[in-house]
Amino acid sequence: MSMVAARADDAPSGDPVNGKRVYLADGCFECHGRAGQGGQLNYQTPALAKTALPVESFVAFLREAPNDMPSFSAEVLSDKDAADIHAFLQTLPGPRPVKDIPQLNP
Amino acid sequence: MSKRSRSGRGDAPEASRRNFLKGATIAGAAALSTPVAANTAISGFPEQRPKAAPPGPKLAAADSMPPPADPVNQTSSGGDFMVDVLKTLDIEYLAMNCASSFRGLHEAVINHGGNTKPEILTCPHEEIAVHMGQGYAKMAGKPLAMICHGVVGLQHATMAMYNAWCDRVPVIVMGGNIIEANKRAPGAEWPHSAVDPAALTRDFVKWDDQPVSLQHFAESAVRAYKIATTPPMAPVMLSLDAELQENPIENREALRIPRLVKATPPQGDDAALGELAKMLVEADNPVIICDRMARTPAGMPRLVDLAETLQCAVIDNFGRMNFPSRHPLNQSFRRSILGQADVILALEVNDLWGTLSDFHDRIVRSAQPRYKKGAKIVTLGTRGLYLKANYQDFGRYQEVDLDIAGDAEASLPSLTGQVKRLVDESRKAAFDARGKKLAAAKLATIEQAKSDATIGWDASPITTARLCAELYSQIKDEDWSLVGTSIRLSWPHRLWNFDKPHRWNGASGGGGVGYTLPASLGAALANKDKGRLTVAIGGDGDFMFVPGTLWTAAHHKIPLLHIVHNNRAYHQEYMYLQAMAARHGRGITTADIGTTLKDPFIDYATIAKGFGVYGEGPINDPGDLAPALKRAIAMVKGGQPALLDVVMDQR
Repeated sequence: MSMVAARADDAPSGDPVNGKRVYLADGCFECHGRAGQGGQLNYQTPALAKTALPVESFVAFLREAPNDMPSFSAEVLSDKDAADIHAFLQTLPGPRPVKDIPQLNP
Repeated sequence: MSKRSRSGRGDAPEASRRNFLKGATIAGAAALSTPVAANTAISGFPEQRPKAAPPGPKLAAADSMPPPADPVNQTSSGGDFMVDVLKTLDIEYLAMNCASSFRGLHEAVINHGGNTKPEILTCPHEEIAVHMGQGYAKMAGKPLAMICHGVVGLQHATMAMYNAWCDRVPVIVMGGNIIEANKRAPGAEWPHSAVDPAALTRDFVKWDDQPVSLQHFAESAVRAYKIATTPPMAPVMLSLDAELQENPIENREALRIPRLVKATPPQGDDAALGELAKMLVEADNPVIICDRMARTPAGMPRLVDLAETLQCAVIDNFGRMNFPSRHPLNQSFRRSILGQADVILALEVNDLWGTLSDFHDRIVRSAQPRYKKGAKIVTLGTRGLYLKANYQDFGRYQEVDLDIAGDAEASLPSLTGQVKRLVDESRKAAFDARGKKLAAAKLATIEQAKSDATIGWDASPITTARLCAELYSQIKDEDWSLVGTSIRLSWPHRLWNFDKPHRWNGASGGGGVGYTLPASLGAALANKDKGRLTVAIGGDGDFMFVPGTLWTAAHHKIPLLHIVHNNRAYHQEYMYLQAMAARHGRGITTADIGTTLKDPFIDYATIAKGFGVYGEGPINDPGDLAPALKRAIAMVKGGQPALLDVVMDQR
């Protein structure tokens, strides 16, 4: 049984510090932004900050990603590192109230 | 002695087919007779066949001494006439990097033409000159001219010409050449001459010529201008013989400059537009897609009129300033609505198949249509009227139900008029209900964009959304004009209110990197006398192809705020390489090799200062953005270019 499946009922878990390291080292930020804000490849790439995907779905998504998203095998991204990325994404601030930012209400 | 000074010396007695000594102030009257003899020989019917002179003292003297006829002054030149022709075409600028093969025209532009109409733009690279022309034409609504060394300079110019070709933008490209082999000096003039210089560019110009007389030049220049500016527009190329530019004019009175009468843009067939109007009025969910639609400031209001009449969705591919970004019917960031469309109208869309397909860049590439089965697809445009075979910028073949050949902007009034005549009260009620739903969805899209922009608001490196929001908050009350962005930078169109024809002028066309900085400068030149605040957000990789553009900006005092979106990478390729590594299950931590610009980081502000341009940066703290933007904008409003280097997260 993988550690991800074993953890399905007691999320959140994982190491966000290691998750941040892996997120940057493995290039996740290239498409999804260092703040998990999303970006652009040949189309908009989704924001991941505070992703609503449960950890097991998140890891499964990474293994067999759809569309132009690269799939990351366990050989290059372990279940633990993938879960740690998920934990890191939960620590990111995510959206703020627009009304608090004058530059977005010109 | 200059490297070309030999060419007029030894040749005079034998061979000017243009009878070049007429008009020159010559030292010896006897020389007047020699060109006549030369012309007789060229006619093919010499009265007496000349015999080769045997070697001897006379020949040795001719080789080593000036001939008897050795004029040292001239009172006219072909270049003067060429300038007269350019003036009739109302060409404001001649962008160039100086070169001996057009020194004749260069001198004439300054001293015969007074360096006005055209005024010379000194560019440190031919690619800069052509890209300036591309950006200028889209903003000014008319082309400028550029001239280059006909071989090596043209080779530098070609990528920008290809971008302009793909972008359907007119640029009048000229190149110097030395046609007659016996007129070329030893050395550089041989490798810098060609039998057919334009051959290099023939796959991506609409027309080219190499005139052999001044009258020929006049007619070809007017023809070139007309062809370049008739939709579908494109660059043209004229190769100019150096002798033709430099030699005296034989008989100015005999030369005539044809009057330019521009061709009216082709309009779609009225019956076909009527059929389209019926389809649009009867449709439940028509969607209009536009790309390089608005050729002139009239384009946008015409499309607004059609869309508002139908209360239908508009999706903009941003090839031009087609449709207001905040208009309730603008659904450019809701492309999923294509799935509900029953009629899709594509106006001057470059890659319709790509727009209508979800393409998957996977090991086995695949695609699915974004539109539902049975949806009627109609194209209106000039895209298919002029294609060439080699370069594949035309995209995959898209099957359609009705293909109307005609310039969309020119055809819109007729189409909209026919639509209006078909709308009855019941359809109008249905349209209004449709429009209300679209307007509500639009508001939600704007609010979502603003919310998305808050993610990572205080992050360093700075998010693209933060940069765009900060910039817009400072320029929104100015008459701003955004004339270039780095690849696939969508935030301005998500957040800003693009409400006038000069707010935007499209992208590179061919995706050739090195477009944004010089094309933005060209657009800024077109905006210069209109009091507009011109801004661009260019990629760092793009900048590195053409940094010398900044010197041209400083030299000609062209006000432009250029922000380097410094993500320290060729970011599109960085992402692609990451995908390749993941696909192989190896090396996912090394995709930065060959794709990033680090070790050392590039200091763009220092580079700007070195070119005489105000520069600030690198800016890492988002809190420093607003004051830096304020200072830079003040410089630009004072008539100077300015650069900000902002260290960015990806896009």
